[in-house]
Amino acid sequence: MKKPDFEKIKERQEKLSSGWVRVGMSTCGIAAGADRIYGFLGEHLKKNRLDINLRKCGCLGACYAEPLVEVEVEGMPRVLYGNVNEEMALRIIKEHIIGGRILDSGVYHLRTSEPLK
Amino acid sequence: MSGIKAVFIADTGVKGPSRTEDFYAAFLSRVRERNLQDSVQLVRTEFSGIYDKGIFLRIWPGGVMYRDVPESRIDEIIERTIISGEVIEELRYTEKPKSLRVVLRNCGKIDPECIEEYIAAGGYGALNRILKDMSPEEVIEELKVSGLRGRGGGGFPTWMKWNFTRQAQGKEKFIICNADEGDPGAYMDRSILEGDPHSVIEGMITGGYASGAQNGYLYIRAEYPIAIERVRKAINQAYEYGLLGDDILGSGFSFHLGIRLGAGAFVCGEETALTASIEGKRGTPRPRPPYPSLRGLWDEPTIINNVETLANIPPIMERGGKWFSEIGTEKSAGTKVFALTGKVRRSGLIEVPMGTTLREIVYEIGGGLETGMELKAVQTGGPSGGVIPADHLDTPVDYEHLQDLGSIMGSGGMIVMDSSDCMIDVARFYLRFCVDESCGKCPPCRIGGYQLLMILNHIAKGSGTPEHIEKINEISNIMAKASLCGLGQTAPNPVFSTLKYFTEEYLEHINDKKCRSGKCSGLLSYRIDPDKCTRCSICFKKCPVNAVKGSREEGFTISSDECIKCGECFRVCRFDAVKVR
Ligand SMILES: Cc1cc2nc3c(=O)[nH]c(=O)nc-3n(C[C@H](O)[C@H](O)[C@H](O)COP(=O)(O)O)c2cc1C
Ligand code: SF4
Repeated sequence: MKKPDFEKIKERQEKLSSGWVRVGMSTCGIAAGADRIYGFLGEHLKKNRLDINLRKCGCLGACYAEPLVEVEVEGMPRVLYGNVNEEMALRIIKEHIIGGRILDSGVYHLRTSEPLK
Repeated sequence: MSGIKAVFIADTGVKGPSRTEDFYAAFLSRVRERNLQDSVQLVRTEFSGIYDKGIFLRIWPGGVMYRDVPESRIDEIIERTIISGEVIEELRYTEKPKSLRVVLRNCGKIDPECIEEYIAAGGYGALNRILKDMSPEEVIEELKVSGLRGRGGGGFPTWMKWNFTRQAQGKEKFIICNADEGDPGAYMDRSILEGDPHSVIEGMITGGYASGAQNGYLYIRAEYPIAIERVRKAINQAYEYGLLGDDILGSGFSFHLGIRLGAGAFVCGEETALTASIEGKRGTPRPRPPYPSLRGLWDEPTIINNVETLANIPPIMERGGKWFSEIGTEKSAGTKVFALTGKVRRSGLIEVPMGTTLREIVYEIGGGLETGMELKAVQTGGPSGGVIPADHLDTPVDYEHLQDLGSIMGSGGMIVMDSSDCMIDVARFYLRFCVDESCGKCPPCRIGGYQLLMILNHIAKGSGTPEHIEKINEISNIMAKASLCGLGQTAPNPVFSTLKYFTEEYLEHINDKKCRSGKCSGLLSYRIDPDKCTRCSICFKKCPVNAVKGSREEGFTISSDECIKCGECFRVCRFDAVKVR
């Protein structure tokens, strides 16, 4: 019998979550080019030797602003970028992740409440 | 890099030019005066879900929000809030967002291809506890307290379905997730499967435990390749972790899950057609009763639930039925996911508590109409639903209210329409869909639907007669009463409801041969105004069927017999000389 240790998994995941970049990769995002942005970000994060987690995620609901990229870096607010193209993706890496400055355009804030948190 | 502060700035007004730039510039100069530009970042933002609150600020850290901020208070905000961390109460915005994510709680937050992220977000925790501490009866009781009703359209209490199957006798039992989502414009279920497949799987295992089903299928339409791939991965991971298979988490309970693909026939979303399709038979409905909960797949007791229904199960089991029942309205508990589309500024996937009004959805979440035109109606329920006219916008969205207005909740399509949308055209669109998708098994739907469509075609073409209105009512009534399955029973709804609320528009088409929205091309005629025409001849050259006659010397006219009403002449004329009627 297999049995996952729920507590251990939670701990391990928490350690992973200090810094990450998420790309919305549902059909709506992919149709808008999210898979290209995902590949592009992966390539350039590696080039810059950045130790940051690149992840996929589902749809945040803001179909008008796909592709969506969310960035969490320690010491900075979590920021959601919309309509991300390759130029913006590069700026996200250079200015936001490396430089610690939020881009001055393309930032979205979606208001929802989540009763489970 | 650590310890930065940020101010997110947006103009939430929806009319006139944005004032964000001016405010941003003013704020920046005040920040520079204090030499804070390295530690305080100003960010121009688009806020979604906040409109008409003037210049809006969100300040990090802390996340305090200010509304209707005048430039005169910038200094105060910098001194008190940014530097000293104080909140300025009279500017503060505290309203709760209208949207509430229960079903979509993980969508966009976790990696759907990674079971660890689901577990870290609390996933499978409820299942773990259920298998340890709860009897199947207790699970069903919890569900009863929650008040959850089916999200696939019918709104049947989920606990009753589960209980019927639990009490039914059978060699074996099944649970099926209906992911055939075929309504035009709807993609809620696809997004749930793509964004959080494990929550649906956890819901299914819970249903299996509660009802005694040991096998489950996800019936997914083949047009959803990404959803299928993610569900497949999720099932494999769940097997690896011992959450599917024999003796789950050492409880003695065994449950197996597989995927079956639907070939894209809308009628296969109907539960008896769906089970026939899984059995390898032709996907056509059969009379009910017996209902699938007693005799479904392979004639055995079978629960059939919609994707969204199942995704609601884990949070209910985690937080308790009472918590869930307090969201939404008394008879319609919980939330509903909608695909908000059409002429709305912010289209997309939204989730709101039941009982939220259409006005709140369209204006406070969707940001109003993109076109600046007047809202005419909101369509809900897709081809089985109807339109709700603008003067009923304050209707709370729940099962009962929508039904009272002649529409239905349906699976969650919501299309916002403005005055450029013709109601006859809308009705015709949905009816044609149902006629195309009718399986042809029963005459009321097969023949009635076609006849109804022919009548609408006449009306749209200008050959409608007043008697047609009577005929519409007669045929619709027969279809609603005598059709075998929901497809035929509800197919007249879009016609019924547009006729009910927009009778005038029908009569205009019939008597005046006029379509006020200019959508019914059969009713249009094009004419060249000789006073405005400069004889440039561009329409003469561009008309694809050479219906523009004449020459630069004599002038031009349009032959209405040959004109196919494509509108090309109207579009190319630079002198406003082509007139449409
Ligand atoms: C023509 C037709 C199409 C349907 N399509 C779907 C569908 O795509 N998805 C769905 O969940 N239910 C669909 N339904 C409703 C199902 O028959 C069934 O009521 C539903 O899956 C039950 O799940 P629930 O109780 O969780 O809502 C359809 C019904 C009809 C008559
Ligand atoms: S109502 Fe239409 S789709 Fe349903 S069984 Fe009859 S013919 Fe087929």
